[in-house]
Amino acid sequence: MSTNRRRHANAIPIASFVTWAFVGIIACVGGLGYVWTKNQLYTTGTEIKMLERELADLRNKNEVALSKISQLSSTAKLQERFDTGFIKLVPITNEHIVVLSNGAAPQNKGELRSISNQGGNE
Amino acid sequence: MNRTARTRALTTCCLLASCYTAFSFRLVQLQVTQHDEYAARAAETHVNRQTIYARRGVIQDVHGEPLAQNEPVRTVIADGTLIKDREALADVLAPALGLERSLVLEKVSREVYSKTHKKNVPVPYIVLKKDVAESVVSGIQDQLAERKMRGVFFEQETTRVYPNGHMLCHVLGYVNGENVGVDGVEKTMEQFLRGHDGFRYTERDRTGKEIVPYRGQEKEARNGCNLRLTIDMGLQNIVEQELDAAIKQFRPKSATVILMNPKTGGILAMANRPNFNLNVQDKVPLDYRRNRALSDMVEPGSTFKIVTAAAALTERIVRPTTMINCENGFMASCKLRDHHPYADLSVNDILVKSSNIGVAKLAIQLGDQKFYEYVRRFGFGERSGVSLPGEISGIVHPPHRWSKISITRMPMGQEVAATPLQVASAMCVIANGGQLMMPQIVQDILDEEGHVITHFAPQEIRRVASQDATNAVRNALVDVVSPKGTAALARVAGFKVAGKTGTAQKYDEKTRLPSHEKYVVSFLGFMPAEDPAFVALVLFDEAQAKPGQNYGGLVAAPVFSRIGEKAARYLGLVPSPEEPTGSIMAGQNSRDR
Repeated sequence: MSTNRRRHANAIPIASFVTWAFVGIIACVGGLGYVWTKNQLYTTGTEIKMLERELADLRNKNEVALSKISQLSSTAKLQERFDTGFIKLVPITNEHIVVLSNGAAPQNKGELRSISNQGGNE
Repeated sequence: MNRTARTRALTTCCLLASCYTAFSFRLVQLQVTQHDEYAARAAETHVNRQTIYARRGVIQDVHGEPLAQNEPVRTVIADGTLIKDREALADVLAPALGLERSLVLEKVSREVYSKTHKKNVPVPYIVLKKDVAESVVSGIQDQLAERKMRGVFFEQETTRVYPNGHMLCHVLGYVNGENVGVDGVEKTMEQFLRGHDGFRYTERDRTGKEIVPYRGQEKEARNGCNLRLTIDMGLQNIVEQELDAAIKQFRPKSATVILMNPKTGGILAMANRPNFNLNVQDKVPLDYRRNRALSDMVEPGSTFKIVTAAAALTERIVRPTTMINCENGFMASCKLRDHHPYADLSVNDILVKSSNIGVAKLAIQLGDQKFYEYVRRFGFGERSGVSLPGEISGIVHPPHRWSKISITRMPMGQEVAATPLQVASAMCVIANGGQLMMPQIVQDILDEEGHVITHFAPQEIRRVASQDATNAVRNALVDVVSPKGTAALARVAGFKVAGKTGTAQKYDEKTRLPSHEKYVVSFLGFMPAEDPAFVALVLFDEAQAKPGQNYGGLVAAPVFSRIGEKAARYLGLVPSPEEPTGSIMAGQNSRDR
């Protein structure tokens, strides 16, 4: 047997080894990647769900707050507060209003009116 | 290989081939032939159609004040299969939900017979309480988390809230348990308010948790549109306050006040008594829920005289100055009386003095058919078309069904049944120069951001009377609200007011004659007379006034005056320089009809 033939017989098939190793690594990475992606999907899904719940809660709280504001600032509530003296307003009666209107001026056009209170403290 | 071995090998191969063929066949059957059936079965178990509820639209007044809106609430559900310590759970839930501890304990301990397990098992879905506020729910959630308790869930729902309670109850209406409008604007505008629910297909694992990545088809909910009404809450509040004060004073069986913009037909305020709180309306009697402004028929009484006068003037049968003989208070041919005897009155004065004989003669001159035609043209005997439910058309008999004296009774508002809204609309014709406008309650349909989707423009139904005729009637009505007229108490200091009183006797079912105790009294007017900002009808049914004082001019007119004064200030109306601002004295004529 010649030297050359022996060398050929005992040679390590590096190319083949590298090829298989590469395929193996790719497969491993692919597999791991798949698992990681799947895991990420579920984690993200859970996060989405959590955020959705949080958003719904915030929306609800917002709507409850809006509803409360509307109720507290409604005409009926303001009138009730006025009646109970919470809003201390003194109604201005006709006797305390002086209307200085210009007879020649065109009326009902939404122009400014000159009005003054007779009693300054009223 | 000998024959036996070959046979064995062949047999084995055949068996294996048959086996795999059978498997393949079954596989094809499962995956192809019966795919849909099994996919549906799997979906039934794991796939869930989740409804995304649409938000009901908000109702606002003309300035954007919310009148009806939504508030999120929760329904508290218990799952008996997950509850370990029922006693402890009842201790947490009972005080928070305001329920008896024994009741909560009884509910969470309920059991049903299970065919699968062949024994009694706890109920997995128990409704503990509905409409629980969010704040209460978060308190319960905290307590449950602290004590590590399971088995209680909170389902999301919404409830309709009316911030103004009693105010405008007959106009707004209300919704039922399924959030569907059953009365008022909530009912008529249901298709715009309700929106469209969306959906989402989700998959769940065997523990019931949603697998978010496997979400299927999804359709967003389309929330309902918001509505902007023609109602002005400032004016509505004035009307409600004055109506309440009048109710305390006169204790009528029922009362109605309507404020309308004569130029557009927009209803600015509408109030009825009795009324109810929209937020607590479970045990309210049906009679309280009726919008009497549209669903009650009344004899309009003398307020109807404006129709007769406008018709006669439009047809140019008479002029405002034409003198009519009023027979000194008694017309023998048809047994018709005036409240005071008058010899000759001008057409103008017929309205000012509210002469029954005078208007009867005007109608006789017009003729049956022509008079009937005008009554119908003013909108009597037909629905106005307002976007509110329960409107009736009233009763106006055609001439062939009239008696011989009908032509003398109808001009003064007898033998005619009209809704308060029809009466107010008729006055709008006089106030706006002769056009019958469609009463309008909804002004705009808005999207969620407040952009106008649809605007309801004022709608003119028809021209009813000429400008000259309505001007003449208007001048007469201004005199009605003067010391010489029947409605001096309707005056508003600083403003020229036009109006007409009405006092109609009610029919006594016992005697089958007009009652001398039960009256429908009203005042119908507008101001400022030169350029009307609003028409108002104040109507009381069976007001408990002092004997001899149950007249429109004494009961309803002062209420109009107070509403008019406040409304003028609220609307910033410019007072007329010709009108005095001093105190108002009532004349004797206020007792006239």
